[in-house]
This record gives sequence, structure tokens and C-alpha cells, in this order.
Amino acid sequence: MKNAIVYWILAPALMMALPLALSAQPGARGGVGDKPAPTSPVTGHAATGKALYYSYGCYACHGYNGETGYRAFVGNWGHLANEQVFITFLRERANVAPVIPSDRMPNFSDKVMSDRQAKDIYAYIRTFKSSAPPLKDIPTLNAIVESAKQEKN
Amino acid sequence: MAKSKSSVGRRGFLKNAAGAAAGAAALVKAPLAEGQTQGTPARSNGTGAAPAPTEAQLFREAGNIRPPVEVRKITRAASDVMVQTLKELGIEYAAANPGSSFEGFQESVINYGNPPNVMPEWITALHEESAVTMAHGYAKAEGKPMLAALHGTIGIQHAAMSIYQAYYDRVPVLMVAGNDVDFIPAHTAHDMAGMVRSYTKWDAQPNTPEEALAAIQRAYNEAITPPMGPTLVVLTSEVQKANVPNLQIPSYRPPQMPTIDASTAREIAHGLLAAENPRIAVGRLRTPEGVKRSVELAELVGASTSTEAMRGPMSFPQRHPLCGPGADTNYDYTLGLETGGAQVAINGPGLAKVAEERDVTHIDFAGVKTPSNFGRGAGVKSAMPVTADAEASLPLIIEEVKRQATPDQKTRIQQRSAKHARANHDAHVAALEAAVERAKDGWNGSPISTARVYAELWPLIMHEDWCFASPCNFSGAHNVQLWEHNKPYSYLGGQGAGGMGYGAPASMGAGLAAKSRNRIVINIQTDGDLNYAPGVLWTAVHHKLPVLTIMHNNRAWHQEYMFVQYMAGVRGRGAERATIGNVLRDPFIDYAKMAAGYGMAGEGPISDPTKLSAALRRGMATVKRGEPYMIDVITEPR
Repeated sequence: MKNAIVYWILAPALMMALPLALSAQPGARGGVGDKPAPTSPVTGHAATGKALYYSYGCYACHGYNGETGYRAFVGNWGHLANEQVFITFLRERANVAPVIPSDRMPNFSDKVMSDRQAKDIYAYIRTFKSSAPPLKDIPTLNAIVESAKQEKN
Repeated sequence: MAKSKSSVGRRGFLKNAAGAAAGAAALVKAPLAEGQTQGTPARSNGTGAAPAPTEAQLFREAGNIRPPVEVRKITRAASDVMVQTLKELGIEYAAANPGSSFEGFQESVINYGNPPNVMPEWITALHEESAVTMAHGYAKAEGKPMLAALHGTIGIQHAAMSIYQAYYDRVPVLMVAGNDVDFIPAHTAHDMAGMVRSYTKWDAQPNTPEEALAAIQRAYNEAITPPMGPTLVVLTSEVQKANVPNLQIPSYRPPQMPTIDASTAREIAHGLLAAENPRIAVGRLRTPEGVKRSVELAELVGASTSTEAMRGPMSFPQRHPLCGPGADTNYDYTLGLETGGAQVAINGPGLAKVAEERDVTHIDFAGVKTPSNFGRGAGVKSAMPVTADAEASLPLIIEEVKRQATPDQKTRIQQRSAKHARANHDAHVAALEAAVERAKDGWNGSPISTARVYAELWPLIMHEDWCFASPCNFSGAHNVQLWEHNKPYSYLGGQGAGGMGYGAPASMGAGLAAKSRNRIVINIQTDGDLNYAPGVLWTAVHHKLPVLTIMHNNRAWHQEYMFVQYMAGVRGRGAERATIGNVLRDPFIDYAKMAAGYGMAGEGPISDPTKLSAALRRGMATVKRGEPYMIDVITEPR
């Protein structure tokens, strides 16, 4: 009941804030980094994991290639240090319904994703590499910076 | 809101003209509805519910039968004078899809005046929602309203969401709705505007042509006076078609904007001049004139400024030398213009009072009752909040600054401005260097990264006069850091109330504004959003609107997809079925073909990032010729 009251008090304000909250400002992204990929053993099957990566909709937040989205993997491996860390992370996600819609990482219990499947997905994620050339080799981006530098101050 | 008792009413006229009509051409008799007698519109089925349109009425609306011939000499139609009133108000466009209830008004717009169909020009919309959202986008780009015409009860309801959105966005939109009281009962109502009264700022149903002219002027004034919003005038057919040989347009009086008083202006000017490091925070002003004045004030006092130009229209130019953190972030005097959190903040009146008075359906509008501009500093207290229109108050402050400034202060201001300019330049370059590092992530990936779409586009538009009219929130918002928003219309911001079906029509409205101003419009268009009313693509082609539409085609309503995934996780049911209802696949939608179907040039789908730049160049070449173009880009979800 208390939650319901809180909801009705907060909901209008939250609805107003929602478009802003969803605005995905670049600064809000979590995947930018240059950390090297983990080197821990991989026991799953990447090909099977690829199918699961799509069917479970992992790409929605992590991009089709793990490089974009709310939480890119490449360069910022976080909870992917090894298979067990990954599996633990999946199981420990929140399991309480949020007051407002959430686009955070869902919970994956062992009832909906077995350890085997998690390891397969992990194996696929570990195949991700940066598709980006060094910045110096992207003329478009360099030109943007150069143009700004040359503006009169 | 009473129905017209006008002496120029159709029934009254018919009675008077009966003798003349007797000798006129034979009437073509319409088939009658069961229980209906000739000349008596079906009004009630005895249950209290309005009857459905009769077959005869629908036949007539479909043009399959002719109405009875009426004979009267019109020397000067009331709707002609209404159009003249709109001309004098500077209304450039009237968007509508046709409806029998405003045939008199429409005929006047397209035929009255020399040249006809100019100011306003009739814009063919394919949905009332598109018509009003076009007006929404136009107003955000220009800071003034255009007109949308709505057809009776059904047109108003088609338009309702767009009206709601404009209301939440505090955007001036002028609307008229036709009301043909004697024709199809289902299309009329005693209080037609009542359906949207909760989210219009003002409405009227004038009883006479004289009242109609005054109502149009008042609706215009109400729309542009803060808090701005959509207004609606219901025009009965009788009032539109009346013969008014001697009707004069009332002398127009612009609205009085609420301003600060002279003593407050003196205090603010003193505060800005006496400060060692003043700061001006600029939110969303009303018009380009307000932006110009905010620049003038900042330059006069040498204040560093913050801007919301990356979040919406009518704010301080992002790359003005004074815009940025400045040389020193310890500000000792801050002035807020339509934004909260400043030492002295001037904010226009909120919608709370309007909403309270007009919320007939008890929506409650919690969002509009925030103490300052909702979404812009809401909830952030200012040390000295002042309720007045910042834009209208600026001349008073500027005048005081000019009067009070001493030679010593002027020298100090000059030196400070130079320091700010250097610091802001350096800060901007540093931010940009960090931004391009992020933008390169996924650069060569397929589907194409949203950052690459923005980055490839920027060099092509940076030297053009451009307007980014669609919301950036679902496509990564990379313009915020990669682009420079220096015009009042550089970025038009979000939907207003988060309602979908906004991007394309808002962009076409901005395209109307751009058309005669040698400007181009960018529409980074989310796929789900376009599918609400894609007919607006035809409008863009038909009216030659310079709008480049780039599909952010992630083949889903991705935000909702993530919400359902999370919920499934919470409930321990897995995420595999979260696609149901949230993705646009099986089949994929081919947007280039959709555009082609509406006659729009375009290409795609493009999923190879190396082909993007050339496609954008082709699109730009077309748009710069004054025609719309669509590029369907298969993108990463975000």
C-alpha cells in the first residue's frame, strides 16, 4: 500500500522526468574505456552463445558487437573477469519490481538461464573486439576537433 | 459556448431565401434515414446517444450527392475577413487535412487575397495529429504560431494527443475547428472545445463574424503570452459563410508581457556590474529576439553563461565566446533567465494556474504545477525567484546596465570577457576531444553506431544554416557533444510529453519555417515514431520541404524492450519473449520504399558504415535543392 501511495505521488513527476532520463546522454554511457579483455579460461561455445546473445536480447543494451549502447563491453569488461564472476553477476541482479520502468541489467536466475548457457554467452562476449581504428585514422572525427580548435576565441 | 443564434444563421437565411429558392434549380433529394423527414437532421435516437451519420450524410461528405442548392449573393465572406485577420497577425501557414466543417474557411485561405493562398498558405496534412505537430515544430523553430485547422469533433479527437503535447511543451499553436451544426450530428457538439479544454490554454466558439475576428486575435495573443500554449477557436459554418459587407477587423493590440519592475531591473543591473565574476544561466526563451537580447546582456556585463541550446530551442548560442564555464567558476552573482537555481531567477508564469482553471477532466497535471519551468530547473530553488517573462524583462535590465556602467567597469568587463573566451574555447576543445574518443566506439561496426551517424553528418551541415528538429533522446544524443548549437532553432528538443509520432511531423513543421529562409532541417527519425502517421512524408514532398530524414532504424521500440526485459528478469521468467510487442521484425519495414511510396527520394537500408557518408552527401545535395530525402540506416539500438 505504501508503495502504491509513493507511486501515485512520484509517478507524475517521474513521467515528466522520463524523457530526460531516457535521453541517453553520451556522458551517461558506461562502456567507454581501454581496459584489455580478460584472459581467463573460456569453456562455453561461442557459436551457441551468439544465438543466446540475440534471443535473450543482450544486444539491446550492449550493442550487437559489444561496443555501443548503455553498457558496452569492449574496453570496460567489468563483471566479465571470468565465467564465475559473470554467472554470479547474472544471479544477483535485482529481483524486486521497480516503481518506475527500469532499463537496468535484468536478473537471470538459473531457472531461466543455465550455467551452461551463461558460459556460452560469456564465450561469445569474449570474442568481441573493438572495430574502431585508432582515432588518428578517422578523418571525420579529427576534422571535427580541428575545426573547433581553429574557431576564433 | 452557447450555440450560435446569429441572424446570419443558415436556417434563418434559408427561411428568408425560401421565395428565391423556389425558382432555383431543382433540389437533388438526399436519401433519408429511417424515421427522418426531409430537412430535419437526425438528432437523436431516443436513447440520449447521438445518432450515427446517416447514409445520406456520409454520401454527401463523400461527394456522392449534392446538397440542396442555396441561393444568396455573397459580396464579402466572413471567412475572407478571418483570413485577412490571420494575414495581419503574420500567420504563414495553415495545416489541415480536409473536412466539410471548414469548407468556407478553407476556400477563403486558398482563394482570398492577391496572391491567394499566401500568408497563410494551406498545407495539406494527412492526419490532424500531423497538422498540429507540424504547427508544434514550426513554433519551436520560429517562436511564433502557425495555424492548424481541425474538422469537427472527429478532427479534434484525432489532434488531441498533439494538442496535449504542445500544451506540455508550452508551445504556441493556433487552431481553428470547423463546426457544421446542421450537417452530421456525430461531427458536431454543443461544446466542441470541451474535449481538449484540459490541455488548451484558451478556447472560444464565437457566435458572430465580429466575435470570430476578436476570438482569432485573442487566441493568438493567448498562445504567445507566457505560459504559452495551444488555443482553439471553433468556427461554425454559419459564421464562416456569413456575408459581411461592412465588417471591420478590430484594431489589433499585442499582448502585455509580464515584466520585472524598474527597481528590480536596477538591482539586477547593479548586481551584474558590481560582481567580480557574474554568471547568466539561460534557459528556454520565447523567441529569437529574446536570444539576441540575452547575448547583448551577457556581452555588456562580460558574464560567462550557461545554455540549454543542446536541450531545446531559444537559448544562448553554445559557441558564443562567453558560453561555457568561463575562466573562473566561482561566480559571485548569478542571474537565471527562464531557469532555476540562480541567485536571481526570472521565470515566466507557469501553467499551474491555467491548468487549475481548465482541467475539466481532472488530469491534475502534476508536471505543470512545478514552481518553475518544468524540466528546466524544476525543483531547484532560486535565492530570489521573480515571476515575469525573462525575454520581455531583458530590455529593462539592458537599459539599466547601460545607464549604470562606469568606465572602470567597462574596462574590467572587457578584460574579463577575453579571459572567458579563451577558457571557454579551451574547455570546448577538451570536451570535444573526449567526445570523439567515445564516438569512435563501434565506428566500423554493423549495424551502424548512432555516434557515427551524428559524426558523419556534422561536417556536412556545420557550414549550413541548419535546424535539428527531431528529439535526440533515443538516438544517443551525440549532437550534444559533437555539434555546435548556435542558432535559436539549432535543436528543437523533445516531444513535450514523450508522445510518439512526433519526430517527422515536427520536422516538417520546422521544414515549413526553413523553406523560405534558405535553411535545412535534419530529422534523425526513430522507426517506431515514424509509423504513427507516416503520411507526413507525402506532405514534405508535396510542399517541397528541405528536410533530410535519417532513419535510426533499430527495428524496435527499444526502450520498452529493455523495460520488459528487466521486468521479466524480476519475475524470473527470462528475457526471450520480451521481443513480443516490442520489436519491428518479421517483416522488417523498408523505409526507403515507404518514402518512395509517398514520392520521396531516398535510399537504404544501409548497414555498411563505409556507405553512410556518401549517402548523407546525396541526401544533403537533394535537401539543399529544396526537396526532402530519406536515408534508411540500420543502427545499433542506442
